[in-house]
Amino acid sequence: MVELSAPGRLPITTHGPFAVRVRRLAEVAREVLRNPTTVAGLVIIVALLTMAFLAPVLTEPNTPDPYQMPRDWTMRDAPPGTPGHPLGTTSTGGDVFYGVVWGARTSLQLSVIVVGITVTVGIIVGSLAGFIGGKLDEILMRVVDVFLAIPELIFALAIAAVLGPSFSNIIFALSVVFWVKYARIIRGQIIHIKQNDYVDAARVTGDSRFSIYRRDVLPNSITPVMVQATMDMGGIVLTAATLSFIGLAEAGLAEWGVLVSDGQAGISAGKWWASTFPGLMVFLWALAFNLVGDGLRDVLDPRTERR
Amino acid sequence: MTAPAASAPSKATAPLVVSVHDLRVHFKVKAGVAHAVDGVSFDVRDGETLGLVGETGCGKTVTARSFLRLVKTPPGIYAGGRIDFWSRDARRSGEEPVDLLRISDRDMLAIRGDRIAMIFQDPAKALNPAMSIGDQVAEVFYQHRSEDLVGGGPDRVPSIVRRASRQATTAPERLALRLPPWRRQGRALRRRVDELVAGALAETQIANPRKIMGRYPHELSGGMKQRVMIAQALACNPDLLIADEPTTALDVTIQARILELIADLQQRHGTSVLYISHDLSLVRQMCDRVAVMYAGRIVETGHTGAVFTDPLHPYTRGLMAAVPSASQKRGELLAIEGNVPEMVDPTPCCRFHTRCRFAVDLCRQIDPELLDIRDHGVACLAYASAARLGVPETSLPLVEGTSR
Amino acid sequence: MTTLTPEATGSAGSVAGNLVMTLRGVEKHFPIKEGALQRVVGQVRAVDGISLDIRRGETVGLVGESGCGKTTLGRCVSGLSRPTAGGIYFRLSDRDQIALDEALAIPEDQRTNEQKQLMARIDAEHRLDTMSAAARRIYRRNCQVVFQDAFSSLNPRHLVKDIVGRPLRVFKEASGSELTERVVSLLESVGMGRQHLYRYPHQFSGGQRQRISIARALALDPDFIVLDEPTSALDVSVQAQILNLLHELQQQWGLTYLFISHDLGVVRLMSDRIGVMYLGRLVEQGTAEELFESARHPYTQALLAANPDLSADLDVEMRGLEGTVPDPANPPQGCRFHTRCPVAVPQCGWEVDDAVSWLSDMAGGLRGDVPHQLTAAFPDALTAVERRSDFDATLVFADEASAGLVGETLTGDGMPTSMAAALEGVSVEDHKVSIRFTEVDEVTLEDLGGGHLTSCILYTGRG
Repeated sequence: MVELSAPGRLPITTHGPFAVRVRRLAEVAREVLRNPTTVAGLVIIVALLTMAFLAPVLTEPNTPDPYQMPRDWTMRDAPPGTPGHPLGTTSTGGDVFYGVVWGARTSLQLSVIVVGITVTVGIIVGSLAGFIGGKLDEILMRVVDVFLAIPELIFALAIAAVLGPSFSNIIFALSVVFWVKYARIIRGQIIHIKQNDYVDAARVTGDSRFSIYRRDVLPNSITPVMVQATMDMGGIVLTAATLSFIGLAEAGLAEWGVLVSDGQAGISAGKWWASTFPGLMVFLWALAFNLVGDGLRDVLDPRTERR
Repeated sequence: MTAPAASAPSKATAPLVVSVHDLRVHFKVKAGVAHAVDGVSFDVRDGETLGLVGETGCGKTVTARSFLRLVKTPPGIYAGGRIDFWSRDARRSGEEPVDLLRISDRDMLAIRGDRIAMIFQDPAKALNPAMSIGDQVAEVFYQHRSEDLVGGGPDRVPSIVRRASRQATTAPERLALRLPPWRRQGRALRRRVDELVAGALAETQIANPRKIMGRYPHELSGGMKQRVMIAQALACNPDLLIADEPTTALDVTIQARILELIADLQQRHGTSVLYISHDLSLVRQMCDRVAVMYAGRIVETGHTGAVFTDPLHPYTRGLMAAVPSASQKRGELLAIEGNVPEMVDPTPCCRFHTRCRFAVDLCRQIDPELLDIRDHGVACLAYASAARLGVPETSLPLVEGTSR
Repeated sequence: MTTLTPEATGSAGSVAGNLVMTLRGVEKHFPIKEGALQRVVGQVRAVDGISLDIRRGETVGLVGESGCGKTTLGRCVSGLSRPTAGGIYFRLSDRDQIALDEALAIPEDQRTNEQKQLMARIDAEHRLDTMSAAARRIYRRNCQVVFQDAFSSLNPRHLVKDIVGRPLRVFKEASGSELTERVVSLLESVGMGRQHLYRYPHQFSGGQRQRISIARALALDPDFIVLDEPTSALDVSVQAQILNLLHELQQQWGLTYLFISHDLGVVRLMSDRIGVMYLGRLVEQGTAEELFESARHPYTQALLAANPDLSADLDVEMRGLEGTVPDPANPPQGCRFHTRCPVAVPQCGWEVDDAVSWLSDMAGGLRGDVPHQLTAAFPDALTAVERRSDFDATLVFADEASAGLVGETLTGDGMPTSMAAALEGVSVEDHKVSIRFTEVDEVTLEDLGGGHLTSCILYTGRG
């Protein structure tokens, strides 16, 4: 007979811990998939990632550096539909389709690296501030305040301008600017979580501070960071595109923002395709990650708080 | 404040204020439809205090909220039954009662706060943190007593002032009220409101009503906030006061004061009180009659003295034996095994049978009716008539210590 | 450590038993910070001088309302908070305790070298905030806690097995399958089973979560458990189950409990000895019977009157308390309960603050027949207060008329008799009103015989 742990609740079985965790993940996944907009976002992301992954297959990689737009002076400003160039070419003869596909790779690298760095640094700083508190908290938060006082875009712009236009400089600039957000988020969460009795209970069991941080505080504080990170995957690309648009990018890079910028001059002359398609990609990328982030937030936050 | 048991008989024949008939309130949940309130019937008479007692999940709060249609639909569903209400005027003129579940929203708005008032468990959550105390209590007067605010004077009242008394003015109109020629009347209006508010606050024995009126909820202690809430509730002298665990969030010594206050105000104004609580000893002190709820149904009801000295239903007995008191020994509290069932799509049966020591097969098959045994109601098959149910006498359960 | 007057701690007349916890003059003050620079402007005296002994095998109940400091004290005893003054000693021997009390009774500079050495040794071996790492390990193993909110005391992301097994893992007592078996055995002793190992807290009811909490507390087979309102959040019938369980476990495992609760009925049932706390101090202490049959402090009596027993007669009146609780940052010099005490006498320690607060109430109007000019005078016309001590101050007003009016009110008939009797003098000079009350000493806990302590001068005959 199936025994109820409490009336109306899940039946108790003797599954092992692994099975239980897999079950729980499946539950979360099911919840996430229940939301149609989230599913739409996921579909778009999968499509874009596939495109990025299959870049060398979909197009002929440029030599020596596939991340540079190919130049073909014979085929400049070809409109979409031209044989061999389904989306047309740019003013320097680069295939727009090539730019779109390899731009996905660039964007992926950009997002992953920047979000990776900012989340890591942000968690470290925010955790120190929130968990240890006291003077350290005050000092770190003043540092954060200084960073936050400068408008993000202008800050990134300034750094990139000083260092010179290059892909890695943009990554650096964005990382420097955006980590503070995560520090703030996780510090707030940690302070909130610390009030729970289970943190005190862990202290009473004699556990070390770091162990309490690792096992009790961090896992329960991480969800807003995850949600924000997901949304930033989209947002970073947008910001990078803006920087590129202003001209702080490597010339000729297969990056959506660069392409939009390069193609901008031709719009008034009716050559809309060089900017529009890459622009559309930026939009889709940012939208998709936002939708998924929203869906994640709806699913994860009330669960961790109440259940 | 003496216990009300002595005055019970005289209230037994007082006119009815509220009569609940077979109230059913359901909730749509993931697993189905939960029958939170499943056929509840009781009466509240003029001037009496009825206690609704039960543990978490028994449906007492949902029942209370149904009176003022405060249950959110969806996921709530008013699935059946009637709540008949006789206001003071209706009783005087012998009118028919209104069914609170079926009257229009407009009529309900007129009744809420005026004829039926409610106070809640956590005063901090029930008061608006962004409004001063004076403004909050004033709202009741604006809403229900606007004629009192303007009438009585020798001058004809301009419509702008009349609208102000109902808080139906726009911002420029409110500004205009501060300027001549309406200034005098505007000020008179505000003064009148302040007087009424101060009076309401003073009734609840707040020492410094004028000072409190300017304060905000976070500046007051728990007991004070609860007094403000009571002042708000009783401002318009309602016929029925519903008190939903009004003192659970308060310290014991403050709790006693608040309950004294409620009893005192009740006696002075003749208000009937529906008092909801999980605390048996408080209910015993405060209430003339008591109804014990379990899993959406009333299992026992009657005069407080009778129910507490001679509890008939096994659940009531179990509950009383579980409360630590002077007569208990350590480690020997009677613990009712098991947990409250979640009432999703239930089948006909006694809801308590899974936890009852005396349950028999019949208990799993029939919904026990609330039977009246000399003004002491109990819903247990042990007291039912075998003949009426059409079952052999031996199939009825036996609850020890009772005579049938 | 400063001098402590030898307060009776209820150890008089006791048989030689083992002490689990010894508290001496424990204080926990929280700084109040204000302003942009976060200057410390005062201290909230949450725990303000508690001395108590907890003996092996007994249950000491700590009861009081919100703000009395019982939870804070519980946290100090369980090592979650450090006291700001005083000492908490774990497993002191009887002999050491006597010697310690002797030493504490003498001012620090007058202690002998021997005594100083003794105290240093005791501090290193037994005192919570100064014990050696080894001693602390033993303390940690043997002092566990069960919290009130079963929901927030279990990490929602951990499986029951991890939660209950954690103490074993931290102290490296067991691992792998042996750990699992021990967890199962712990779960069984609290009425749960193997089938609950791999579940999350949210899948259990309140009562079951509390059982898990208890199982966790038992994991290392401790001597002593601090129970902070363990059943306050539970329904009556579930509470009964848990209380029965706690009692059973105490018998089987030889546990000592510190049972903190605001519910007098529960404390009475579960405790051998009870301490009643008010505003950071113990006001009465004694066995459960002593307190309930013959309470010797008006506050205890008020607590009893406010929540009548279910089995008591119905004609016993339920009574509450009027008045306001004093500011925990500035408690009265005399009895802290006198502002609300229904039987306060002049010697209880009436202060200027009481007179001021009474004037405030009077001026609010709508209470008796009060000249409404008083409202204008007080507190509106008050410009300054010159405070020489808690008992002696001068109120400065904007004009003579206000001062005169206030002076008249103070000397008039309205003032409660005991406050009036304690008023030594009121003098009006121009626009100043000087108020002087009789000074009183601090109240102390006195033994009424057999370990029944109270601080009320009505019973101790002091003051």
